Amino acid sequence: MKFLFIITLLLYASGAVFSSKVRLSYIFSFAGSVSAFLTGCYALTRTLVLWSFPLSHNVALTLYIDHLSGIFIIIAALSWMALALYSIDYSKLYPKKRLSVGFNISLIGMMLILTAHDGITLLIGWEVMTIFAFLMMQGTGKSFERSFRFLAFGELSTVCLVIGFAALYSSAGSLSFDAMHSGSLFVLILLSLGFIIKMDIVPFHGWMRGIYGDIPDNTAALLSAPVTLMGVYGLERIIPLLPGNQMWEIIIILLGAFSAFWGGLQAAAADKIRLLPAYSTVENNGMILTAIGFYALAEGFGGKSLHYLATFALAASIVLVISHTLSKTLLFMSVGHAKEAYNVHTIDEARGVWSGVGRIPALGIVISALSFSAFPPLIGFAGEWMILETLFQSYRFPSIAIAFFSALAGILIALAIGLISFAMIKLIGYTALGYDHGRKSRPIPNRLMHIAEVGLESLIVLGGIGLPLIIVLIGFPQLLIGLLGIPAPLVLASGIPAFGVISPTFIGIIMLVLLIIPILIFLKNKKKVRKVDSWNGGIKLKETEFFTAPAYSQILEHILRGFYRTRETKTKTQSSIKVEDILIRPTEALTRLVRKVGEKVALILMNGKISAYVTYILILFITVFIIGMLVR
Amino acid sequence: MKVLIGIIATDEGERLFILNNGQPVLVKADGDNPERIYSNYSILKQHPSKINDEPMKGPGVFRFRYGPVTAGVREAGCFHLYTYGEKILRATIDISWKQREIGKAMQNMPPESALSMAERVCSNFAMSHSVAFSRAVEMSLNISPSLLTKNWRMLLIESERIYNHLYVIYKLASAAAQRVLAAHVSALFEDALRLNENITGSRYLMGINNIGKLNRTPAIANIQKIANGYGKLAEHFTELYKHSLTNYNYLDRLHSTGTLTPAQAGELGLTGPSLRACGVTDDMNDTTKHLISLPVITQKEGDALARMEVRAEEIVNSCQYLVNHLRASDSWYETEKKENEFTKADGKGYAVANSPSGALGYYVEVKDGKMQHVGIFTPSYPGMHAVSHMLEGLIFTDFPFVFDSFGVHFADAAC
Amino acid sequence: MIRWWPLYGLKRKLTERKEYVSSVKLRLSTTAVFKRSLFVYVIDVGSSNALNFEISALEAPQYNIHRFGIYLTDSPRHADVLLILGHPVQAMMDPLKETISQLPRPFYTITIDDNPDFPDLGEYPALPNHIAAITGVPSPSEILGLLLDVAKIKRKRS
Repeated sequence: MKFLFIITLLLYASGAVFSSKVRLSYIFSFAGSVSAFLTGCYALTRTLVLWSFPLSHNVALTLYIDHLSGIFIIIAALSWMALALYSIDYSKLYPKKRLSVGFNISLIGMMLILTAHDGITLLIGWEVMTIFAFLMMQGTGKSFERSFRFLAFGELSTVCLVIGFAALYSSAGSLSFDAMHSGSLFVLILLSLGFIIKMDIVPFHGWMRGIYGDIPDNTAALLSAPVTLMGVYGLERIIPLLPGNQMWEIIIILLGAFSAFWGGLQAAAADKIRLLPAYSTVENNGMILTAIGFYALAEGFGGKSLHYLATFALAASIVLVISHTLSKTLLFMSVGHAKEAYNVHTIDEARGVWSGVGRIPALGIVISALSFSAFPPLIGFAGEWMILETLFQSYRFPSIAIAFFSALAGILIALAIGLISFAMIKLIGYTALGYDHGRKSRPIPNRLMHIAEVGLESLIVLGGIGLPLIIVLIGFPQLLIGLLGIPAPLVLASGIPAFGVISPTFIGIIMLVLLIIPILIFLKNKKKVRKVDSWNGGIKLKETEFFTAPAYSQILEHILRGFYRTRETKTKTQSSIKVEDILIRPTEALTRLVRKVGEKVALILMNGKISAYVTYILILFITVFIIGMLVR
Repeated sequence: MKVLIGIIATDEGERLFILNNGQPVLVKADGDNPERIYSNYSILKQHPSKINDEPMKGPGVFRFRYGPVTAGVREAGCFHLYTYGEKILRATIDISWKQREIGKAMQNMPPESALSMAERVCSNFAMSHSVAFSRAVEMSLNISPSLLTKNWRMLLIESERIYNHLYVIYKLASAAAQRVLAAHVSALFEDALRLNENITGSRYLMGINNIGKLNRTPAIANIQKIANGYGKLAEHFTELYKHSLTNYNYLDRLHSTGTLTPAQAGELGLTGPSLRACGVTDDMNDTTKHLISLPVITQKEGDALARMEVRAEEIVNSCQYLVNHLRASDSWYETEKKENEFTKADGKGYAVANSPSGALGYYVEVKDGKMQHVGIFTPSYPGMHAVSHMLEGLIFTDFPFVFDSFGVHFADAAC
Repeated sequence: MIRWWPLYGLKRKLTERKEYVSSVKLRLSTTAVFKRSLFVYVIDVGSSNALNFEISALEAPQYNIHRFGIYLTDSPRHADVLLILGHPVQAMMDPLKETISQLPRPFYTITIDDNPDFPDLGEYPALPNHIAAITGVPSPSEILGLLLDVAKIKRKRS
């Protein structure tokens, strides 16, 4: 077991070392991810300490695996495998060394996070992941400042974690996760805040605009799926360990629900092909946050029915995590594939992937978008059903206030799912299955891309149909029952006595049966088919006459103009509509402030005068000296 | 008031066909800059068949094409609506699909044949075309028709006005999904067409007018029945119309839709009920100065509702006019029945008729008893420009209210 | 007094009882497929507008074409009969061909040429299933009679 883990790290390290041969580097990443996957499988059934290195009294670097980390390692490893395969082909187009170095070492960082059992290891992994992800973003985009915003948010999250762990040490005297049961509310708030920031919850999503469209495909996918997964893992790890607090749990439920709503809202108006999935990440992570908060809240109350609900909420969060990671990776890969083939930036320009680029990436877009839109029997359907069912059962709480807030969260999440369906339909209808208008795509190496895409597509479909198996593997067999003729354990029940049930397995079976018989009948009676152009007033439709993707969203942008701050500019020959994400205004304001202050400070300090520089060094020295004396 | 109806290129230079206080006048174009005096000069000079053809660009802006074969606007004509979603940014109207060049086809035809072609330019304005054309030819050949002919022409133009206005109200009611109202107005429309047939033998008043005379005069035995028919029509329509105005939904769709200001109407050279709905009192009723003139009906708002109100009142007034004159037909029916001889074979003439949608002008040059040059100036052409300008800024669902309320036709605009 | 629209005009009997005999000779044999309902799509290829007004008059309650199962459609894809109005203008020939290609089988085409003597305009292209060709401006009664003949719809005796 330890052997597997060391092999994983070694393979990634080799990938980083051999980064000059980019293809080889990514092949090493793939091998390392396979090894990580095996580690995760192994970890599902065991709990053991991998390694412990004592640093000083009460502080030790511990690496540890158990069931929870096993689940997350498996999920992350699937995403890493797909991305590594994708990157092998992608590296032909983009053979930058720093990209493969960043990729490999970032993965090492993530592996450390997933196996950490104390604060320092977690922070080491956290920083390694963030900094090397930042490294992957370099060399692209219009300004350094925009990618620096990502680093700023990453460091903000690190700062919160550092302060949280420091507080834990001061109250419990140890940084190990075992000592968390004596942590205070302050620790809870700060640690969860650190993880929430990493999950791109509003308003910490402000770094996305302006940079997401320019970074390489595998970076975008990495930032969206595995990196936010780390935030979720952190929360899932510490929330059961730390003592709960109702107020904070309600806050994170509402924050998650609002984040989901906002993500859906902005995704519906997004016209850049990378920005729509980015906002979808905000939405999904919002739902996951709500699920985790709900689990903590229900568990805190106790009682049989609420205990079942808490378990169900936890299962919902993990199923959502699985669905999000797989679907988001697939969506970014397929969209990236299309984007590279067409060399464009907006949804409107990247039309007709099915006929213009290839069936497999188009199918990838369709399946992942349907999964996000909760289309049965895919796994996204299961996850979104589960979170809604959880919130529907808020009446079980004895406190009316909590029931009210949960219902409010349910409303917001339902709206979010509706809005994200709207957005995903835009992606399917225009990018995946739209007319390609004779656009030519350039040939790019795509055999491994196709393998990765097909792999994820099958996982999403099979994950939905095989939901009972997933529920068992993640450790909640008590949620599965049999009902109304459907044999156990194919039915997932959301409450006892049965409140709501689904069985995607059964839906899959029925769909298959209903598909086979009509297809057979159709094939038997061959009818004469005549193909004509679509009816358009007697003349063929020209490309300029097709409905555009922005026109599809414009109605929503007009109706919800209060939320979007929709503005129209019109001249005699030009007209356009602009929408705005008002929740990134604080980020933009902060960026402007930092730039101004930075310029001022740089002007004062680095003005070329030696005396100013010496003064600056002296002041710093004295300050550090004083602080050191005080600490002593 | 002065309105420029058309520009004619004659052998002696350019001539401007102007309506001056209701009277048609031909003036020379050289001298002062006509563009300064008449703001629609350049439109009439260029006479584009693609109206308002200025493309609109922008992210997400595309050109939605409605036509040339549609079920809503049955005539052959195309609308190109620039939009980025629901809102119409610009409407380009392509009238070239129905261009039959009738003016050219009339060349070298004897006036009587050319008259039947004039009636077929736009057959729901057949009487107006026929009257304007015959007046122009009569002016060119120095023919003066009898009082009987002139009276009947006036009456039949009012008949034409009645059924055309009923048609506009029928279309507006259908567009607003007022099915009961639309069905009843449609029944009145069919009654009006049947009354036309009773008077003239043709539902569209075709084939009754001729140069200097009428082809046949309506039988006096039927006159009282026809008068009663118009009376009943007016009664039913008044009751129906009053009732329809109590429906808030109906009014809401028409109110403030496609509001035309007097300044805009003046710039486009509009005449007729669309102009009167902006509050401008025009002199179209002075076109013929015998018999009692009808009152000029105006409204103030200039929106689709005002245009409908003007038409509704005109229907009732025209019905009343017809009833009064048909009932009193004993007194003037038996006046002179002069036979006309054509004294001249060459000449130039011009005339205007008060068609249901505005001033309809003809300019003719006759040589050796054959048509030499015919200029047709219909009210639908400036009307289409008005429609195109009024559509800007509206959403798709308001389209039929603007288009139908102006009462313009592609056959009339593209002759 | 406010009168309620659904009751308005209930006492009025507007629908006439006529036999709608048509004098137009059909060029092809008819099928019994359209006996229960006939969907007509109207296209204007250059008419002088009288025919358009006659079609609007045909929708009036006096004729009440719905009682025979005759409907005007909004799309040629739902049509059984294509009613072509007007003396053809060259510009409209291509849209006419495109419209004909959209009609599902079986279908008929009927032409009404309101200005046959018009000089120098286009000619009708070869029309498939051209069951009737009328010249002049027929009244709505005649058009209705023709449609009843084409669809073999049972007439109500007057």
